[in-house]
Amino acid sequence: MNGRPRIGVYICHCGVNIAHTVDVQEVTDFAAGLPDVAVARNYSYMCSDPGQALITEDIKELGLNRVVVASCSPRMHELTFRKALAGAGLNPYYLEMANIREQCSWVHEDRSIATSKAKKLVASAISKSRMLEALEVKEVDVEPAALIIGAGISGIQTALDIADAGFKVYLVEKSPTVGGHMAQLDKTFPTLDCSACILTPKMVDVGNHPNIELYTYSQVEEISGYVGNFDVKVRRKSRYVDMAKCTGCGDCAEACRMAGRISNEFDEGMGMRGAIYLPFPQAVPAKYTIDKEKCLFLSKGKCGESPKCAEACQPGAVNFDIEDEIIEFKVGTIVVASGFDVFDATLKPEYGYGVYDNVVTALEFERLVSASGPTGGKITMLERGKKKKKKKEGEEEVPPRMPESITFIQCVGSRDKSVGNEYCSRVCCMYTAKQAHLAKDKIPGVDVSVFYMDVRAFGKGFEEFYDRVRREGVNYIRGNPSEIFKRGDKLVVKAEDTLTATPLEHETDMVVLAVGLTPRSDRREIIDMLKLSQSPDLFYLEAHPKLRPVDTATDGIYLAGCCQAPKDIPDAVAQAKGAASAAMIPMASGKVKVEAQTSIVNEAACRGCGFCVEICPFSAIELVEVNQMGWMREVARVNEALCKGCGACAAGCLSGAIQQRSFKDTQILPQIIVLGVNE
Amino acid sequence: MTEDKAKATVTTDFEPNIVAFLCNWCSYAGADLAGTSRIQYPANVKVIRVMCSGRVNPLFVMNALQQGADGVLVSGCHPGDCHYMHGNYYARRRFTLMRDFLEYLGVEPERFRASWVSASEGSKWKEVIEEVVEGVKSVGPMDQFKRRQLNW
Amino acid sequence: MVEQLIDTDKLKKIAEEVISREDVRLLIGYRKGTFGFRMRPAFVEEVSEVGELEFTPACVNNLATYLTNYERPPLPRGTTNDTRKVAVMVKGCDSRALLQQMVELAYKRDDVIILGIPCNGVIDPAKVDKRFPEAKGPGDVKREGDNFTFSADGKTETVPAAEVIADKCTRCRYPTPLVYDELLAPEVERFADDTYEDIAGLEKRGSDEKWAYWEEKFSRCVRCYGCRNVCPMCYCDECVLDRLSPQWMRRSVDISENTAYHISRAYHLAGRCIQCGECQRVCPMDIPIMEMNRKFYKDVAEFYEYEPGTDAEEKPLLSIFSVDDKEDFIL
Repeated sequence: MNGRPRIGVYICHCGVNIAHTVDVQEVTDFAAGLPDVAVARNYSYMCSDPGQALITEDIKELGLNRVVVASCSPRMHELTFRKALAGAGLNPYYLEMANIREQCSWVHEDRSIATSKAKKLVASAISKSRMLEALEVKEVDVEPAALIIGAGISGIQTALDIADAGFKVYLVEKSPTVGGHMAQLDKTFPTLDCSACILTPKMVDVGNHPNIELYTYSQVEEISGYVGNFDVKVRRKSRYVDMAKCTGCGDCAEACRMAGRISNEFDEGMGMRGAIYLPFPQAVPAKYTIDKEKCLFLSKGKCGESPKCAEACQPGAVNFDIEDEIIEFKVGTIVVASGFDVFDATLKPEYGYGVYDNVVTALEFERLVSASGPTGGKITMLERGKKKKKKKEGEEEVPPRMPESITFIQCVGSRDKSVGNEYCSRVCCMYTAKQAHLAKDKIPGVDVSVFYMDVRAFGKGFEEFYDRVRREGVNYIRGNPSEIFKRGDKLVVKAEDTLTATPLEHETDMVVLAVGLTPRSDRREIIDMLKLSQSPDLFYLEAHPKLRPVDTATDGIYLAGCCQAPKDIPDAVAQAKGAASAAMIPMASGKVKVEAQTSIVNEAACRGCGFCVEICPFSAIELVEVNQMGWMREVARVNEALCKGCGACAAGCLSGAIQQRSFKDTQILPQIIVLGVNE
Repeated sequence: MTEDKAKATVTTDFEPNIVAFLCNWCSYAGADLAGTSRIQYPANVKVIRVMCSGRVNPLFVMNALQQGADGVLVSGCHPGDCHYMHGNYYARRRFTLMRDFLEYLGVEPERFRASWVSASEGSKWKEVIEEVVEGVKSVGPMDQFKRRQLNW
Repeated sequence: MVEQLIDTDKLKKIAEEVISREDVRLLIGYRKGTFGFRMRPAFVEEVSEVGELEFTPACVNNLATYLTNYERPPLPRGTTNDTRKVAVMVKGCDSRALLQQMVELAYKRDDVIILGIPCNGVIDPAKVDKRFPEAKGPGDVKREGDNFTFSADGKTETVPAAEVIADKCTRCRYPTPLVYDELLAPEVERFADDTYEDIAGLEKRGSDEKWAYWEEKFSRCVRCYGCRNVCPMCYCDECVLDRLSPQWMRRSVDISENTAYHISRAYHLAGRCIQCGECQRVCPMDIPIMEMNRKFYKDVAEFYEYEPGTDAEEKPLLSIFSVDDKEDFIL
């Protein structure tokens, strides 16, 4: 149907918006005289029904195969007119628009100048329209299942929402239990509800949900495909415990020869566990795991006569022959909720973390305060690295003393260029206030001070809580400490009170470093697998900072929680729910439309250099081997489901082999010719 | 050659013709906003819309100058704001090299400008246009390698 | 003291070993030309052809070109092309072409056997032709200390190296190949540096003067495309500059189309040119093509600390970026 171009040109008056400064009749007459123009008309409102009818009737009656509309910005009405073309049976991509309102009649006053510019713009659009090609709008089916990477509070919430909506969810967690960092917390600010009390029901839910396939102690190894059709490979690491048989009774852990000799990650290394262990009592699944590196039998090949755990286990769940398992499945969407790392306080050596026993991180302090922690919720002075003396018969145990004063230092590893973290971690101000409150609560008469740069109490109930804590007698000192050293049995915090410009040396028993949140050290695994981008702070980059905060540049892949940026629990949950609903959109509709103005490769002209493969921000191009008349060659090929139609590949291609549909060199060069010539 | 140009520059009524390549998401939207805000600016610049400044092949610039455009402007999203993540970063490298090279050949740097104009910078668009037009006016008509129009 | 480096007997011995291998189909080297002091490429497929191989300071050609620039006529149905290795002799400068070709995935490292030639400078054929306009040859060129010795037609003459050495060699920073399987002589220590003096003068001048300079050069161009055809980096099956749709430039030879051609050619080599100088060597109209390539080369080095053809693992310059790239001209 598409022989020689028969172009219809339609000039819009837009009431007086265009007609006031542009002589639309003159432009119409000009257009009518250009080659291949079958008809040129003008009308008061082209976007109105009668306006559109002009076009559809001409297409049918005059056999138009190209349409040029000169009116407002294509950003305004391109879709409108494309629909009109489609309605008349013409491929919608045979439309080209000339913007003679926003970029002409509204910005120029002189009628003759505006008219002559309008003519140029119309001529340019006509020249491009001749070269336009019909494009196909494609749809792909969406697998009604989602993969969630990470089972902290964000991953849990995302999984629950999607599963509740009726879609299949694969929830993959690296560690032996779900729960993430939130499980380690005692109370949550500013409401002081117990973290475990609100989290554990959700943990149990993901463990039991009929739509959730939970893979803990597992890792995503490979992801390929595109929105709607991702192929996922997950490695379930062996726990050496038969999950079906383990009842979680804990007999094995008691029997383990290493029991109480391995520091427990969950308690930030302050508590002890055995080689076979449950990270914490409420862990989900409540199944034991053998730590391969620490287990005598697995690492040394010998554990006494025979492994004690296996002997102790009545159901016979311990099995050293269990191997890693690879599971493969298909999903339509992916939510990354891989979380954060806590800032490594040894990177600020001036604070003496790792040198002085009683300089602790906030997360360690959290475990000290927690009733399920290593001290049973008592805040006591720490003696680290010392082996506990064995109690002699009848000897009274001297309980460790409680600190008389505790000093918090905020912004450790946040807002600090010296460690490369310019961002604010958003939670430290408030958790410090909470911990200060808890200290006051647990140790009567304790002296609590906080060194701060600014207090950012921006959330709901935050400022009120901060006020309350100050009323409770917590002493806020504005200043960034320069050094911590020991004097006698006291720690000395050296700082300047910047409100009074007074240098001070503040003596204290215990220092809590309010460490910030950092991007995970293993973030590259996911970046490489999913081709995610990072923002300058190295957290994963969202598609748009304002309007697409849970999307990534890749369709079908979303972000939830602290992997995108530091967040408190309500924000993480909110984003998780956002990501869940974003991930459900393609699943619910069952189909996704893919961009039509994608790139296409002329394989005969492609030299296989891979420039476009490198350039493509969406990893939509790959090199494939083809047989060209017996010559085996690699050429670029575009995955149209991934291509977003930016055209960066086309401008980077030396041979012009890759071109962006609707913005091909053959379509842009005629515009340059028309506009370039200065008459 | 030099004399011709001197003549042209003296003629104050020289109205340069400038071809601009605008990315759809930021600069084209910014130019639309200038319109919606009825911000008046010189009519010398004629726009070709592309989806991303990364689509603009530096040879387009050469081609426009060869056709007789007195100047070329390429405008995209501010660094970090690209709708397609990185398109403007690629564009920046390409144009930096091309512009320096054209300057080395004797094409005045005023003839080839680039700008970052966001969708909210309607007034910046006007300023950019004014500066570009002013710059091209100061160097006169493109006369280095303008294509001779053949009429057969 | 620089001496003749390559032992021809050793070269032939190695070449014989290489071409005898089952997995090698071709060895590209140098042999004596038919006129003057010229050397020409040798395409050795049989052991019997090894005897003609030679390396002298007259071996100016960059043989890397032949790894990428060849015809691919349709093969009989059911057969595919011979994928056995190709061996190639390369000087320091030429070896960088191989690296850049590998950056551009033209072939894999395993597909080639690289016979590296540490080189202390080759002659400039144009300068030699001027010096010996009568020489019929085929003649011999040898390096002896700071001189080249030319013998042809029964006569021998010694010329100070500085008078006939190729310009590119006076600023060569990579006299020893950067990549090779076999080095045919001991490494040559770097003996020169590149200060871009040749282009600095023009850079400082005004637009009118610059254009006057180039207008004169470009108007000489006859559009033979020799500069493109000899370039080891220009191996697109269809060059965009030849296309009729889209037509980037017309075929007519005039200042406008010639300029467009030279801009396009030079831009296409930005971040890719490895400074072998072949384009300028083959230009029949003495257009200083390398000055354009070197302008890009200098900018690329200055702006992006990037030097093409020095690392096969490097990504192509214009396919990568840094968030902090310079942008001082952007409004």
